[in-house]
Amino acid sequence: MVLFNDLINLESFLKFQLLKRGAESEIRLGSFADVKAIYKIRTKKDYMEEDLDIELRYSRTKKEAKILSIAYANGVNVPRIYAVYPSIGVIVMEYIYGITLKDLLINGNDESLKFSYLAGKELAKIHKSGIVHNDFTTSNIIIKEQEVYIIDFGLSEYSANIEDRAVDIHLYKRAVESTHARISSIIFNEFRKGYIDHLGSDKGEEIIKRSREIELRGRYVGERKTVWKP
Amino acid sequence: MIVLGIESTAHTFGVGIFDENRGIVGESRKNYVPNKGGILPREVAQFFSEVAGNAIKEAISKANISIDDLDGIGVALGPGMGPQLRVGASVARALSVKYNKPLIPVNHGIAHLEIARYLTKMRDPVILYVSGGNSIVTTYVDGRYRVFGETLDIALGNLLDTFAREVNLGPPYIVNGNHVVDLCADKGKFMKGFPYIVKGQDVSYSGLLTHAIRLKKQGYNLNDICYTLREIAFSSISEVTERCVAHTNKKEIILTGGVAANKLLNEKLTKMALKQGASYMPVPFKYSGDNGVMIALTALYELKYGIKIDPEKAYINQRWRIDEVDIPWYYSTI
Repeated sequence: MVLFNDLINLESFLKFQLLKRGAESEIRLGSFADVKAIYKIRTKKDYMEEDLDIELRYSRTKKEAKILSIAYANGVNVPRIYAVYPSIGVIVMEYIYGITLKDLLINGNDESLKFSYLAGKELAKIHKSGIVHNDFTTSNIIIKEQEVYIIDFGLSEYSANIEDRAVDIHLYKRAVESTHARISSIIFNEFRKGYIDHLGSDKGEEIIKRSREIELRGRYVGERKTVWKP
Repeated sequence: MIVLGIESTAHTFGVGIFDENRGIVGESRKNYVPNKGGILPREVAQFFSEVAGNAIKEAISKANISIDDLDGIGVALGPGMGPQLRVGASVARALSVKYNKPLIPVNHGIAHLEIARYLTKMRDPVILYVSGGNSIVTTYVDGRYRVFGETLDIALGNLLDTFAREVNLGPPYIVNGNHVVDLCADKGKFMKGFPYIVKGQDVSYSGLLTHAIRLKKQGYNLNDICYTLREIAFSSISEVTERCVAHTNKKEIILTGGVAANKLLNEKLTKMALKQGASYMPVPFKYSGDNGVMIALTALYELKYGIKIDPEKAYINQRWRIDEVDIPWYYSTI
């Protein structure tokens, strides 16, 4: 990992081919030391106060890089980091060429259940590394050569908290439900199996149970628990 | 077809009349304004039952029709506060039975979404619905409005009102169309160190509220606190909306609900939409808050698809989520 903030100029990165413009950042395909590399560039959000925007971009870049490297060290399938430039909000990392789980599910691939299982397995590994992802949706899961890779740790936190872990499960479930509503329960069930198989059933079940509680805590849920109900 | 809609979920008793051919033809609104504190449901319900009769008469006379011309009675059966909902439901049931008109159950949140789509003419948007009780980022997928993101604790309107109350800026919370927190923030500047909580596509505001109240108690400048509270609250909900736009690839964004008239939130969403290459519009000010017209409009859509309810079974549902409602009329235009 290289850290030399002041020597780099953002303009040269912005010439690389744009692969995707997300809410948070631009993903560009360039090269780093002769290999293809992804440049994740956190772009300015001009609808925010400048101080807030700079603070958020700096801290999110730095934290994402740190967390990615911890996940990698713990054997999670994530892109390798080549370089980090927090002051301009840039991370240079391995290019993982594949299809997102979201697209795979939309196209109704027969193997989608298997990959949902593997996504559960990767999330279990992430949680075992003391990390929570916090944006664990099907758009952030990439399938490459029959393996599942997790990307975009932009909102990740260090946590072994049951509540925080359950949020990841909740996010995955809702992403599946919202974009693939009709077969969502089967897809989620495979994910749940993968997760529990690799985290252990006691802990796993507890976290899944909590994710259900989080769902019910949302406003205006019929079965929501309230303090005053017997 | 002509439908009358009754809204009584929070502090507005609204009656609206919507004509399939002529659009919005008549309405009446009676707002309950507390002297101090928040809304006491029982007192509001009392007020509603006093004004209900006049509100209905006014709306009908403005529409220049007789009650016999109506093809149905729509009523918001939830979500909202029980005592108020019961007043609206009772009135609607009575009208339905007495004049032999079909009774149509309407979800209040869905009505906010439908009036926004109707008035902005945006057909398939990402919708940010923010009010005193709701902060929801939603869009239509596969038969229903799906909730992509929402607040994990308190709603945006509730955050602003509660903070105003805790630091003695209100009530009233709205002065000449501006929220008191906005007015107070105009002279402020940005402070560092406030919690900015976005989890995936959800926001959380309770930590922000506690932090802001604590700073006020410690003697920091109230203008600065208001400025920062508002900046963080609006930025985070805009960011969540931006994520939904990026995730779904939709090209239209609408803001609806009671907070939709807010100037700064509108500015932020305009800039965000530009960044995402999407077009943005807020629901027109007149129909941002609770009103009967949105209930009538939604009821008309439902009636055309045969959705009605037996008056004896028209129970209120205080926690009726928008993603529990099937939307068969989504692609139809009136």
